[in-house]
Amino acid sequence: MHFVTGGAFNGKSKWVKDFYRLEEVQYQWISAYKGKVNMDTDQNSADIHILEGVELWIRGLAKEFNTDEVRTRWKNQLRFWLGWEKEDIHRRVILIGSDISKGIVPVEAADRYWRDVTGWAYQDTAAAADRIDLIWYGISQKIK
Amino acid sequence: MAKGSLMFISGGVRSGKSSFAEKAAADLAKQTGGKLHYIAAGKACDSEMEARILRHKEDRKKNGISWTTWEQPVRLAELSGVFGDKDIVLFDCLTTLLNNELFSAENLWRKQDFQEKVSSDILHAINEIRKRCKTIIVVSNEVLNEPIGGNELVFIYGKILGCLHQKMVEIANQAYLIESGIPIQMKGEPACKEL
Repeated sequence: MHFVTGGAFNGKSKWVKDFYRLEEVQYQWISAYKGKVNMDTDQNSADIHILEGVELWIRGLAKEFNTDEVRTRWKNQLRFWLGWEKEDIHRRVILIGSDISKGIVPVEAADRYWRDVTGWAYQDTAAAADRIDLIWYGISQKIK
Repeated sequence: MAKGSLMFISGGVRSGKSSFAEKAAADLAKQTGGKLHYIAAGKACDSEMEARILRHKEDRKKNGISWTTWEQPVRLAELSGVFGDKDIVLFDCLTTLLNNELFSAENLWRKQDFQEKVSSDILHAINEIRKRCKTIIVVSNEVLNEPIGGNELVFIYGKILGCLHQKMVEIANQAYLIESGIPIQMKGEPACKEL
């Protein structure tokens, strides 16, 4: 599992496309930015699955559940992806999530809660991932 | 004409990015013997900016460090003719220029062709200055590490700024991220040994 993060519009998706040479391989790309509300992928479609917009999926969970429940559900999702990866050495899950943690404290309680649980979910994601890259305007820093 | 170099410097509020940029500019000017220019995009960019302009004027009187200051809130390209090929140009900062250009006319910011024009005009201006001087140093802000999807205006501004920053890093000889006064070189070799 590969976690790719960094600020909005920093070139994360482009970096993933270049890094995994997606022009040459089969992949499945699902994007929360395109309105995909659940994180289900077609498991047999390709070996490389990219899930973009993790923070929006976390927001979806945050709208429904308390902190513990969000984290439990997110960890289960991570465990599911890790299990899927283990079944075949060629499989790879790439999670792309925008960093939303460094602004001024949001006025709305719901936004504060979203920001908090996203931070925790990213820590869980980082713990589960074997590689993490931080993207700054197209330049990557491998931090795990 | 040989193309000058481009240094991109970004950081959070009060990260020390402007001070670092200023020191880099002064060091480079010492090497080239060129003049120092400071382009301020506006007063709102940084409350330090006015003090900085004033200090540059004082510096000039006191010790001969010759900063020429320009206040250019919009149409950056208009300035490109004033620089010499040994000169060092410090532009502070991209976020304010984009703000001034994008919101110069009411409601135009919603139109995609206007957004593209603003973005390409800014890039063009930076390239034109770069062609004519020794080094242009472009300072900007880290503002994209928070939710920006909640508001159309913020989203469009963030998108254009992010794309401009990506372009800056792509064409820059050096790119620095400043954290609490510490410069982290993200691209290139140090521009001079003092940095």
